[in-house]
Amino acid sequence: MSIKKFLQDFLNKNPFKGFYQVDRLRPPGAVEEKKFMELCIRCARCIEVCPYDSIKRADLFEKMQIGTPYIFARDRACYLCMKCPSVCPTGALDNNLVDAEKVKMGIAHIDQNRCLNYLYVKEEEGVISTGRAQICSTCYNVCPLQDKAIIMEKYILPVITEKCVGCGICVEKCPTEPKSVYITPSGMGNKDTAGFYYQRSKMSFKKSEEITDDYLKGDKLLQKKQNIQGEDKPKFKNNFKVQEKIEGW
Amino acid sequence: MIKKYRKVIQSIIFVGMFVVPLLNILEIYFIKGTFYSIDIGDIGIADPLAIFQAIISSRHINTTMFISVILPILLILLLGRVWCSWGCPYYFIVEGIDYLKKKLKIKNSKPSYDERLPHKTNFIRYGFLIIGILFMGISGIPLLNLISAPGIISSQALVLVKFHYLTFEIFFILILIILEFFYFRFWCRYFCPQGTFLSLFRWKKGLKVVKVKDDCSNCLSCIRACPMLLNPMREADNSLCHNCGDCIEVCPDNKKVDTLKFRM
Ligand code: SF4
Ligand code: SF4
Ligand code: SF4
Ligand code: SF4
Ligand code: SF4
Repeated sequence: MSIKKFLQDFLNKNPFKGFYQVDRLRPPGAVEEKKFMELCIRCARCIEVCPYDSIKRADLFEKMQIGTPYIFARDRACYLCMKCPSVCPTGALDNNLVDAEKVKMGIAHIDQNRCLNYLYVKEEEGVISTGRAQICSTCYNVCPLQDKAIIMEKYILPVITEKCVGCGICVEKCPTEPKSVYITPSGMGNKDTAGFYYQRSKMSFKKSEEITDDYLKGDKLLQKKQNIQGEDKPKFKNNFKVQEKIEGW
Repeated sequence: MIKKYRKVIQSIIFVGMFVVPLLNILEIYFIKGTFYSIDIGDIGIADPLAIFQAIISSRHINTTMFISVILPILLILLLGRVWCSWGCPYYFIVEGIDYLKKKLKIKNSKPSYDERLPHKTNFIRYGFLIIGILFMGISGIPLLNLISAPGIISSQALVLVKFHYLTFEIFFILILIILEFFYFRFWCRYFCPQGTFLSLFRWKKGLKVVKVKDDCSNCLSCIRACPMLLNPMREADNSLCHNCGDCIEVCPDNKKVDTLKFRM
């Protein structure tokens, strides 16, 4: 190793400037980690305004990051209310960020060997046999960017797309232990030092153009649901007797 | 009188430290922040040293940073380093310790007045600030915020109110408080980088203690009262003075005719 390389390595691994860990995120709008550590004065204003108590003040375990704001997605994810970016006095969080979809705290990655839906399909296809089969789909159901950040392939396999903002709600709610979904925080070092999950998750990204748009959302979905009439009686193959009225309904 | 006002303001600020997070929990965001940086309505106020460090370490300045230091610096230019004696929660605690010591009849560790002491004190605290800024430059993060007594106390108050626990930083304050029992005001006088940085903005024309009458009864009670170990009759324009007004409070001549007074 040449002296130059040694010096580069030594100085670039500045212990003051953060280290990588999955499921530990900076609040939305945070600038890249190195810059963040320079700018954040640990004033705790973002911690104070967060209505969901998502942001925690880093303690001794976070070494020199002590006092800076972190979101520990496994305990409490960010609910994307977008209150915190505007209060930062130094611009460590981008003050002008208001659009939740533009947040980039990180990106989720689903561990296919643990996710219940993947296991179910494998079980179904006879690849494995665990003796139990559960469909979960929690991550898909809780994602605030449902069908954008996370899509259901073959109606059952949750796949994260690059639109994922890394809010971590899927991680917080994932019922398996250990969790089957991880967030790779963005801006923490480059991808060589970002570790295993970053490499893994990159491979499972899907380009957002590939997602089809033929689903209903928001108001349209609500409208459709409200328009469902009770009058069309379902037609059954066998001649079941359909109850006209439900008592006390 | 001055002391009473000062105690009232100090107490309000101290209690406010706990009330502000409470209001924020109730989603009232009128005041938000800690003594690193606080927003009152739309007015941003920040610790000048914290912003200075952020500017140095990131080599970058934006308008929010710039605007938030205007008010504190104006305040110091006009009223002197009043933050320390009228606002800082650490100073409030330290004065509480003095009171406690008196009650418990523990020997006061206050050194006696010495003409050379102010120079020595200033030398140590400016030296400490410069070394601190140097270390901060090397580390590349606002390192001095980790030893900011007012900042830590207020952020711990926030964490306590919001999450019902304390983080490790509180040990720093506890150590300072324990040492304070043996060394009189050592942190504020010799080390506190925040207070030292504020001293830089003291302006000759700002508020200061002046002996307005040429002679006095020479009881020297002001010298005994000064927590910064200055001679208020001569050296109140020293950057150590934080306009606490303790010297004015004790001066017996003031009762008859203005002798030692705050003047612009
Ligand atoms: S966006 Fe809202 S929920 Fe998310 S960390 Fe910021 S304040 Fe908390
Ligand atoms: S508001 Fe900004 S400077 Fe203050 S703790 Fe949060 S990120 Fe850091
Ligand atoms: S997949 Fe959805 S819920 Fe999970 S981190 Fe990404 S945006 Fe958040
Ligand atoms: S010197 Fe520092 S700790 Fe002492 S009163 Fe001033 S700001 Fe507070
Ligand atoms: S000179 Fe007077 S106002 Fe200044 S620190 Fe001493 S006692 Fe306080």
